[in-house]
Amino acid sequence: MTTIDDFLVLVRHEIGLPVGPEHADVPLDQVPGWDSMHLLALLTALERQTGRSISLPDVLEAESLHEIHELAVQS
Amino acid sequence: MSVYLHSAGTVLPGPPIDIASLAEKFDLPSVWGQWVESFIDNPYRHYSVDLDSGKLRFSLADLATTAGERALAAAGAAPADVDLLVMGTSSPDMLMPATVNVVADRLGIDDVATYQLQSGCTGAVQALDVARRLLGSGEHRTALVIGADSCAKHLDLSVDVRSLPPDQQVNGVLFGDGAGAAVLGVERGAHGVELLRTRVRCVGRGREPGQTLNWFGGADRHADRPAAVEDYKAVQDAVPPLAVQTLDEMLDALNWDRGEVDYVLPPQLSGRMTDEIHARLDVPDAQEVSCVRETGNTGNALPFFQLERLLPRMIAGDRAVGVAIESSKWIKAGYALEKVDA
Repeated sequence: MTTIDDFLVLVRHEIGLPVGPEHADVPLDQVPGWDSMHLLALLTALERQTGRSISLPDVLEAESLHEIHELAVQS
Repeated sequence: MSVYLHSAGTVLPGPPIDIASLAEKFDLPSVWGQWVESFIDNPYRHYSVDLDSGKLRFSLADLATTAGERALAAAGAAPADVDLLVMGTSSPDMLMPATVNVVADRLGIDDVATYQLQSGCTGAVQALDVARRLLGSGEHRTALVIGADSCAKHLDLSVDVRSLPPDQQVNGVLFGDGAGAAVLGVERGAHGVELLRTRVRCVGRGREPGQTLNWFGGADRHADRPAAVEDYKAVQDAVPPLAVQTLDEMLDALNWDRGEVDYVLPPQLSGRMTDEIHARLDVPDAQEVSCVRETGNTGNALPFFQLERLLPRMIAGDRAVGVAIESSKWIKAGYALEKVDA
């Protein structure tokens, strides 16, 4: 998973939210169906897929899916 | 006739299990533990099942019996003094015999009225309500009231937790096992704490359950139905306002102002939810009595852990109000205590 499109596919498959490119930069509370429980599913999927730890405090600062993606590929 | 709370006694099985131990046991990533700490904040729970061997060490009857013994000892009462036994649980060992009657036998209590309520997070208050009213009738003098729950039937140590939906993962970290009990009586007792009021209202008309626990028999044991389901969004949205309503109704009925409450015992869903609910109850002058961060969510047992913490702190004139909310078919429950004598 390297691109934002790959990441959005992961979001669709792992947590079942119908997100597309138009949701990458909107505030998380405007992503359809988004809540903290989805964050748990997404973070565990990311850590499993990338094999790298992701810092939750950093993720909690993220304001969009795009920013979470950046943290995932940086970590 | 006035009814008094003489004592509370509790038990938690086995050692406290922290989040890191759960993550290690179920091979979960470090970020899972961080999320649970941030969004649930139940640092510990206790299990009747040994996590290493998978063996069941304590039945529900074992836990309830120990809690009952401790409550009786704390009250200075003997089993022969008990003429009413009421128990609430969502997780009986068997459907028959009812666990309350097994506990009566274990405690050496015989030839008394016994009742078991099939109940969730308001079960302790429902049991206190039944006991208070029956004691108030004048037909009984001393009641042992028990609340107990065990996750043992749901704790599948072979499951791949990472493959479960997040709401089921969270259910697993919310709950733990435990039992609590209280002795009530029509005599004033050493504490002089009167159980002034209990109130239970089912408000589930037209509402889907927020929590479902199935049971299975010989014909449907292989049915493709989940054993436990929680609609966490419904719980998150509905419980805080129901808790506020319950406190308001209790205070109205007692003719107490918020400023006259010395202790508040809020619902104990999780550390984080309890903080949120406590803030919304808006009783800043009252001391909060909570336990969920130490005990985990022990369902029917929770208010007894709170009462055990409350009793030694009360001084003459102190007033306390407790609230519990059940999110299965939506029940709101409250209770009020006052220390009337030194």
